[in-house]
Formats: sequence, C-alpha cells, structure tokens
Amino acid sequence: MERCLTELEERPDDRELLAEIFRAVHTIKGTTGFLGFSRLESLAHAGENLLGLLRDGKLKANAEIISGLLALLDILREILASIEGAGEEGHGDDAAMIERLRVLQHGGPASEIPAKKKRTRKSRTKAVSAIATASMAEIGHAQEETKAIEVYQAEQQTAQMRASVNTAESTLRVDVDLLNRMMNLVGELVLTRNQILQMVGADTNLTLLSRRLDMVTADLREAVMKARMQPVSHVFSKFPRMVRDLAQQLNKRVRLVMEGQETELDKSLLEAIKDPLTHSVRNAIDHGIEAPHLREAAGKDAEGTLRLRAYQEGSHVIIEVSDDGGGMKVERIRDKALERKLITRERAAQLSDRELMQLIFLPGFSTAEAVTNVSGRGVGMDVVRTNVEKIGGKVEIDSRAGRGTTLRLRIPLTLAIVPALIVYSRGQSFALPQGALSELVHLSSEQVSEQVEWMEGAALYRLRGKLLPLVFLSSLLKQREQASKSEEAYIAVLNAEGRRYGLVVDSLADPEEIVVKPLSSVLKQIGLFSGATVLGNGEMALILDPGAIATQSNIGMALEDHEAEAPETALTDGLTEYLLMQAGNEHAAVPLESVLRIERVPRARMEQLHGMPVLRFEDSLLPLQDRTSNAAEEEMTVVVCRDRERHVGIAVAQVLDVASGRPLNEAGTHTAAQDVTLLKEKITSVIQLGRIPALPGAYPLEGEFVEEAEAIL
Amino acid sequence: MTSLAQKVVAQEEIIEMCSVRVGQTLYGIPVTRILEILGKPVKQPVPLAPDYIGGLVHYRGEVLTTVSLRRLLEMPPREDAEDILVFEGADGYFGLLVDEVGEVMTVMPADFESNPSTLDDRRKALFAGAYKLKNALLVMLDPERLDPVRLADAAPA
Repeated sequence: MERCLTELEERPDDRELLAEIFRAVHTIKGTTGFLGFSRLESLAHAGENLLGLLRDGKLKANAEIISGLLALLDILREILASIEGAGEEGHGDDAAMIERLRVLQHGGPASEIPAKKKRTRKSRTKAVSAIATASMAEIGHAQEETKAIEVYQAEQQTAQMRASVNTAESTLRVDVDLLNRMMNLVGELVLTRNQILQMVGADTNLTLLSRRLDMVTADLREAVMKARMQPVSHVFSKFPRMVRDLAQQLNKRVRLVMEGQETELDKSLLEAIKDPLTHSVRNAIDHGIEAPHLREAAGKDAEGTLRLRAYQEGSHVIIEVSDDGGGMKVERIRDKALERKLITRERAAQLSDRELMQLIFLPGFSTAEAVTNVSGRGVGMDVVRTNVEKIGGKVEIDSRAGRGTTLRLRIPLTLAIVPALIVYSRGQSFALPQGALSELVHLSSEQVSEQVEWMEGAALYRLRGKLLPLVFLSSLLKQREQASKSEEAYIAVLNAEGRRYGLVVDSLADPEEIVVKPLSSVLKQIGLFSGATVLGNGEMALILDPGAIATQSNIGMALEDHEAEAPETALTDGLTEYLLMQAGNEHAAVPLESVLRIERVPRARMEQLHGMPVLRFEDSLLPLQDRTSNAAEEEMTVVVCRDRERHVGIAVAQVLDVASGRPLNEAGTHTAAQDVTLLKEKITSVIQLGRIPALPGAYPLEGEFVEEAEAIL
Repeated sequence: MTSLAQKVVAQEEIIEMCSVRVGQTLYGIPVTRILEILGKPVKQPVPLAPDYIGGLVHYRGEVLTTVSLRRLLEMPPREDAEDILVFEGADGYFGLLVDEVGEVMTVMPADFESNPSTLDDRRKALFAGAYKLKNALLVMLDPERLDPVRLADAAPA
C-alpha cells in the first residue's frame, strides 16, 4: 500500500491504482469492524471517505493528501503490530488523525493545512509512541528470534490478515535454522558423493549410479540454496517512502526508479546489505541530488532521479544506486581529505581523479557542508564498504561532476558457498577467497632469491614498477616444517579493504567453490582464519581472512594501486571484458571470465602428444593452442582458461592488457560477427576455447558422458 | 521389555563408563555424555592454535575442533592416528583425541574416590576423580573440564 501511495503521487489520475488502495483500506475496515477493533475501524473509515472522493474524481491527489494517507498507514500499521503482539489495539487518541483526513476531504485551504499538520503530527507521534514503544519493541524482538523466512513474497504490508489466508495453502514458513541444517546436510552429501566418485573404479553400473547420485546431489544443493533466496524487493520496498520523506525534509524533488526487484539474494545477505543500501540512498539524496533551483540553473529537470537497479552478473548480484545529481567534485574530495589529514599533500598530488574518488571510503570522510540529521557525520561510506566487504562483496564508485554518481554494490549470490583459490604452504592447504584476489605471480626458485627485495626485514616485490609489500604465509603462521626442495613460490596479490599486498605461498591448486564452516571460538581468536571448509578431496582447509592478515602484518592503505581496475568499467555495461594478448604478429583475445591464471614457462616445457602441443602440470595435462610465432624465444606465456569443465592453455608471446570489447556486426546483417571483437578500437580475434581439441582419450565432458552412457543402456 | 525395566531398577546404581587409553593410563568417561566415537579420522592441524588443540576434523558436515588429551597432559605427540570422542560443549561440539577407545565398563558409585592431594595441579584441574577397579584405577574425565572454551579461559596463554 505504501508503494501504491507513492506511485499515486506520481500518477494522481491512475484509477486502477486508486481502486486498489481503496479496496485495501476497505478490507481493513470491513475485517476490523467484524472483529471488533474499533480504533482501526474508525481510522480506516476516515481514510476510506477520503479515498472515495479521490476515486470518484471529486478530489485530486496532491502531496498533502498523500502525506495524510501515509501517516494514516503508519498508525494502522502500529495498531496492527500491536494486535499481532499483544492481541489488542492499544490505547491512543485518533481524533487528530481523523480530523486531518476530514480537513483533507474538504480540500481545506492551503494556509490552514500546515497549522493542522503540525498539530496532528505531534499528537500522532504521541499516540503512536504510547502504543508502540512497548509492543513494537517486543514484536521486533520476537520476530527476530523466530527468524522465520516467509518463503512466499507477500504482497507488501497490505492487510496482512488477508494475505495470510490466501497464501497459506501454497507456501510454508520455514525456520531458518532448519534451512541451515539442510544446507549442512547437503554439504555433507556433496562430500560423500565426491568420495564415492573417487572410489568408483571400472564397474560400469556403479559408475552410472554414482553419476546419477552426482546429479541429484547437485540439484538438491541448488534447491536448498534456492529456498534461502528472497527477492531484493524485500529491501527495496521501503525506499519509496523513505525517499519521499527525505526529499520533503530536504526540500528536494526526487523521482525514484527501481529496476530488477525480482532479483534474488540469499536471506542473510539481504539482511546484511539493508544498512549499507539505506545509507547509500540517503547519501544520494542528501549529497547527490541538488535543490530544484540549482538543478534548473544547471539546465536539468527540477526533479532529480534516483535509480535503484539490481541485476545478476555471473555469481554476483549487482545493486546500483545512481543519481543524476551534482556528482562528486574531485577537488573538493582532495581538499576535504587534506583538511581531515587523511592523506598528505604530496600523496594527493600523485593521485588520479579516480583514485581520489576512492578516498570517500576512508573512515572519517564526509564532504557535506554541514552536518544534517540525514547524513554528514563522517561515518558513511567507510561503513558501507566495511559492511559490504564483510559479506565478500565489493563497492565501486563512479562519478562525473555535474552528471551524477553511481555507487555499485557487488554482492555474492550466497554466503554459504564462496569461490576460493586453494593454496599450499608447507604442505598444508588453505583457502583464499577469490573476492580479494587480484592477480597471481609465479616466481621460480631463482626469481625468489633475485626479485624479492628486503628492506630491514620487510620483503618487497616490484610489481610493474611499484613496490608491493609481501607477507610470507609460512612465517606468518609460524609453520615449522621445512620448505619443499623446489623453492619456487607464488605471490597472490590481494586487495583487502583497500590494502594491497602480496601473500607468498608455496604452490597453488585449482580454484574451488567452498562451503564455509564456522570455526569454534577458540580458533576464531587466532584471528587469521575466517572459517574452515572441506575440499572436494575430503581434505580440510582453513579459510584465510585477507583483511585480518593485512591488519596483523601492518599493511597500510594503498590507494595508488587501483590501476588494475580499468577506469571505464562503469561504462561497460553489457560489454565483455577480454584479456588482450600478443599472438605472433596479431592481437588475440579471450574472455576475461574464462581466464584462470597466467604463467610464464620455458618453451622447452611444451611437449607433443599425437602431434598436439600439451603442457604438464604436476599430475595433469593441459591441452595447448600454440599462438607464439617466434620459436627462438626462451620463455612463453601460457594463459590457462576454463572451457566448460576442462582447462585449456593458450601459449602467447605476452599478455598485453585487459579491455572491454564491443561486438561487431557483419556488414549487411544485424548479427554480431563471431570470433571477432573491437578492442581498443582495433579488430581482434577472439580465441574459441571450445575448438581446442581434447586430449586423445581424455575423459569426455560430463554432459556427453551421460548421453553416451544412456546410449549404451 | 519387562526384563529391561527390571534391569533399570536393579542397576540404578551402576554407571557405564567408556574406557579410553592415553599412554599407560586408563581413563573413563560416562557413556551418556559421548555423542559419537570417530575411529582414527584425518586431522588438519591449525597453525597458531593453542597447544592443546589437536586439529580440525570433519564431522557430519561441520568442522570439529579437537582437544588432545596427550598434549593437555604434556605428553609427547603420538605418531599413529588417534581416536576421537565427540561431546557437546558450551560452543557447539568438540572432540577429544585419545590414543585408543576401549570397552565399556560398569562401575559403582561406591568405588569412587576424589583426586588425591598429591596429584599435580594440571591433572587435578582435568581429572574428576577415580574409580577403583579390581586391579587398576579408572581415572574419571569430565567432558565439561575438557571443553576448549573452558580450557581457553583457564589455560595461561
């Protein structure tokens, strides 16, 4: 109903909308009268009278009327909550509210209304607080405790009684604890399945059965995860009202546009983003969108637009809060940061505009001219970032002076399952969440001794000319075991809460989707692990917490190292990011999302198998596509990519850059040409990973295998 | 069924103890407190953890923190795999690493004696007393005293 009312303000002539609101209020009136709730009945009656006039076109909805109706809705909601909690309406004086609605009915003279409004506001809050304080607190508490998810997305707050009757037949309320338990059991099943799959030998029947078990388990896991999902509209639904109230309070005109409300997110994550999102919306209205006269002066529509957009991108949900306001002035951000002594003057001079913009995420930063009660208290964007990063998400900001600001929250689909890279240190495996990982550098044993530089006990590595502080995992964990014979190492370049450093590990395994298990309190106290997990091979691994490692190793904020992120990312919606490589004399590209890792290997390591180039990594063989032309080179770069289930490698001379590609239409047709894209305004061929032939006699892909198996049957 | 009922009445006084061995000593834990016994599972060590933590073990989809009785008693670590008893503690389940789980014994409350005053403080804090068996002593362990949460509070870091 709240949604309907705010919509009504935009489209005051929408008869259908009016009828919908009228019906809702009428239902409340009818039901409550029947049940003997007299306060509700008289309030609903007053509202109905006003709505009746609106519906019949005798009155036109305006801001005053909508405010009145929203206030009515507030009281109705309080009373309903009180009924739910205490079983009675509570006591309160509704005369003022009814009077206010009556005055609105007569389209009271404009001068009279503000006076009335003031009076009614006061008495209303008094009445409300009298009922609310005790009962609301209790209800809030009780609801939290039961932690029940309403699986069905109920029709907002409208007459809950009616809704519950209608949905009772097709939906259930399920205890979150039960869902968590189911999730755990499914995790257990997945592991048992993995072990069975490893044990299955040559027995065809058993192989088939285990394949079937594999599929059923995967489906089951998906279904249980699905049960934990809720549409983001659960969080979005409160914004129309909030935006409206805030805009009025600040004398601004704001139109709220929401997209992708049906996008689903894990229940616990939805809870976690509520605050950061609310904060971002407040910020956008308070700092972003300018006052109407300023907007007009700047040649913009007096009414500002705030856009909330949610969509899924791979295994992430992106939530964008964008406004078409004044944008952020880089100079002001810099001045403010200097004034608050967040950075030094020398440092500020070195930073690019985009890097300066990231300063707003530092604690204690606020550019608001004055501290308002809406925002500007200096706790702001840093809290947004901390909260989002806590759940494995990321925050990006993009702003253009005079054009507006876009804040992008990148949230993982689910907390329970996290993509992680498995790393080894002294023979023990650890999981490194990929959210924090920006790149991997391989160092051969000579390189370890040559390229790792020491400054009074602090290890550093020159990454593209800049010094990267290094943390050796084995010494951090005080692991006593000796390093393995080969002293080679990998540097995982991590970006945790704005701090950048390299974590040195002995070796890497493949990335895995891990199920996060909490640690007992004794082990949490160590402070370096965020949990533990059971790997596909049944082994356990501790999950490293990149932020905590940075803190314990005294890694400071490193703002200058954002160059890895392409500055244009904000404008690349719908475009694919590619890894650009030098292949012989031409450029070639692979989609960035399929790239697993990049390695420099000696050419001599490339071997031939039935005339096919292959590369051996410990126990696994990697089919290669050789795109190097100069066989005289001693080393080559191998880009390891994921092609569905298998991994393939592309050997190139070197890796050039990451860029977003624009599809090219074939002349005369309107279809995008295959295998080619426009990268940096140059035509570039896209390598089709699927065309790299499989290894002779290799294990077929899962899908084909099942088909084959069924054919045998 | 009737025989079972009679048995309960008759043996009201009898306590069933699961016997475990660490080093040369036989310890007893009331059977009712044990949730499960895991036979020699694979343990994952936890770097930087307190000394008495025996590592992590995968237990029914959860990660089980284990306490090593050997290390609590400051005995040298054992090369062979160890058995694990699972208990419910203040902070969820935890496991106790022992050399070997033996048979279930029955003891009478009358045979119970509290810790001798000559026992060192460390052991006094861990042991709940002992039952006199025919030709040996069964040292009684109280899972509550072995809870990692409690050990973390008590043990000097």
